[in-house]
Amino acid sequence: MSDMTEIDTTDIRLVPESAVGQEVAQTKSRRWPGLSVLGGLVLVLALLPLGISGSYYMHVLILTFFYVVIASSWRVVSISGQFNIAIGAFMGIGAYAAAIPSVWLHWSPWVTIPLGAVAATIVGALLAYPFARLRTIYYAMGTLFLGYVVINLITAGGKTTGMSTGLGGVEPLFSDRTYYYYLAFGLMLVSLACMYRLEFSRIGVRMKAIAQSHQVAASVGIGERRNRILAVAFGSFFAGLMGAVYCHYQGVASPNSYGLGATLWIIMYVLVGGINSFWGPAVGVGMLLVIPEFFFRDLKGNLPYVTAAILLIIAFTMPEGIVGLLKAITDRVSRRFRRGEVSGDAP
Amino acid sequence: MLLETKGLTKRFGGLVAVKDFDIQVAEGEIVGLIGPNGAGKSTVFNLITGVFPVTSGRVLFDGRDITGKQPEQVARLGIGRTFQLNPLFHEFTVLENVTSSFELHPHSSLFDIFFNTRKYRRNEAFIAERAHEILHVVGLERVADELAKNLPHGHQKMLGVARALATRPRLLLLDEPLSGMNPSEIDTSLEAIRSMRDHGITILIVEHNMQILRLCDRVVVISFGQKICEGSPAEVRANEEVISAYFGADYVC
Ligand SMILES: Nc1ncnc2c1ncn2[C@@H]1O[C@H](COP(=O)(O)OP(=O)(O)OP(=O)(O)O)[C@@H](O)[C@H]1O
Ligand SMILES: [Mg+2]
Repeated sequence: MSDMTEIDTTDIRLVPESAVGQEVAQTKSRRWPGLSVLGGLVLVLALLPLGISGSYYMHVLILTFFYVVIASSWRVVSISGQFNIAIGAFMGIGAYAAAIPSVWLHWSPWVTIPLGAVAATIVGALLAYPFARLRTIYYAMGTLFLGYVVINLITAGGKTTGMSTGLGGVEPLFSDRTYYYYLAFGLMLVSLACMYRLEFSRIGVRMKAIAQSHQVAASVGIGERRNRILAVAFGSFFAGLMGAVYCHYQGVASPNSYGLGATLWIIMYVLVGGINSFWGPAVGVGMLLVIPEFFFRDLKGNLPYVTAAILLIIAFTMPEGIVGLLKAITDRVSRRFRRGEVSGDAP
Repeated sequence: MLLETKGLTKRFGGLVAVKDFDIQVAEGEIVGLIGPNGAGKSTVFNLITGVFPVTSGRVLFDGRDITGKQPEQVARLGIGRTFQLNPLFHEFTVLENVTSSFELHPHSSLFDIFFNTRKYRRNEAFIAERAHEILHVVGLERVADELAKNLPHGHQKMLGVARALATRPRLLLLDEPLSGMNPSEIDTSLEAIRSMRDHGITILIVEHNMQILRLCDRVVVISFGQKICEGSPAEVRANEEVISAYFGADYVC
């Protein structure tokens, strides 16, 4: 309390610059192990097609890249406090905005894919405007119904959308799956870089601020509506982009892929991986999509039950998801390590 | 007048929380707004800052009609505020609470932020520096890296003030800044409020703690949503209507 009673307004210009510098250096050195793991993983994935034989495994990895982006985009919207139960529908908007001109107008995929991404962004931004009035369960319910509406509109679209059977004959981008692998991989890296940048810049800080208290945020000039719209538009861009690429990859856009089921899986990936950390969605996709596909294929039929069980276990034992658990472990290890280094300094 | 309200009225259903309320605050003043619980003080703040739409009446800031503006627009015009409850971003650190409140000065565009331009980096460096200064002024420098929710109550209150200061307000509205503080924290806060005024910030303050009267140039008393008296701290203290509003009519007799 002693330094609280002294208010020296004459030297408030004195800034402990050394302290600021120290902090930066510390976070830098702490980032090193994480960065090398990440670099190694990227390298392995980049070289994998040279070694991998079965195209089935290639397919699983392509799917993984797609879902890492989509789950991450869901999470990036969630940091603004918006839990969107219509993420699948936004993939669908991207997919159909690409598939329809591709099938009926024979537009090039290089045009229809950006079109899908832009369409999802615009629809997202327009819908975010009225939805920015809704919070908590009202927002969740609102988006849940929105998802149904989008699917219903798609299936009611007659010949243009192919109704409930879907729209086939979407022109493929490549004939060789390896190219898709690298396209999906590259898009994933770029998308994650964009999302990382957004979250850890002042824009992400604003979003986290309105999620904590929109009233306090407004009192310092952070508008709730504008930032929520921005978050949804940003997230929808990536969902739409991946939806569009995916339908060109599959050759078909089908409403079943974009309904509530798809949305719930995406949210599961995020929750299992860890909603509070940037890498949570990627880890969650790895756990729930890759591992069962590669190692326990017999289990696949029972996957919903297994996943529900996993979610319960996570909720009870590690509410911050797998990444949260890993973080707690590494924190404890590094604290013990540091304590050993400066023994006698700390109690 | 820096701030002026004319006939400010707020109705919540059948309850008239604020009725025909006029207040003037001149540049450089410290004005106290006092009154019993439920008198409508916080509601006045929420009407000025656009948190609630007014039922009728007008709010003028620096001669400009700001009635009906959104809270973030009001903040941009130069009115900072603290909240009686829930004053913070609880999941942010103390430092982040202040830096995230530096939205207005200096301003970086979305483009600058996303592409990490030189201008953005310069602005952020400036913000970090100023945030440390502000924390130093309110005595929270040492706990800069603590999570806000882990601070003791008095420190949270101070942080609320620091956050509001970061917006560089011309007018600062403080809603019960001293409640729940211990005597030494109260002394510090009174000193800090005085030094803010010396730095050119005009202050309108709601408080139950009568020590605040030491600071005020003028005091406005509100009861049941209406202004019952206004004057210097000494005048208000002596006013019988004020005494009866606070303690009930029996007390006076
Ligand atoms: N959002 C609201 N909805 C309905 N009634 C409200 C609302 N906010 C305040 N009120 C009512 O308006 C009246 C004035 O409340 P206000 O919070 O402004 O009082 P106050 O003077 O700040 O009191 P305190 O000293 O207890 O903080 C009270 O009767 C309160 O119940
Ligand atoms: Mg109040």
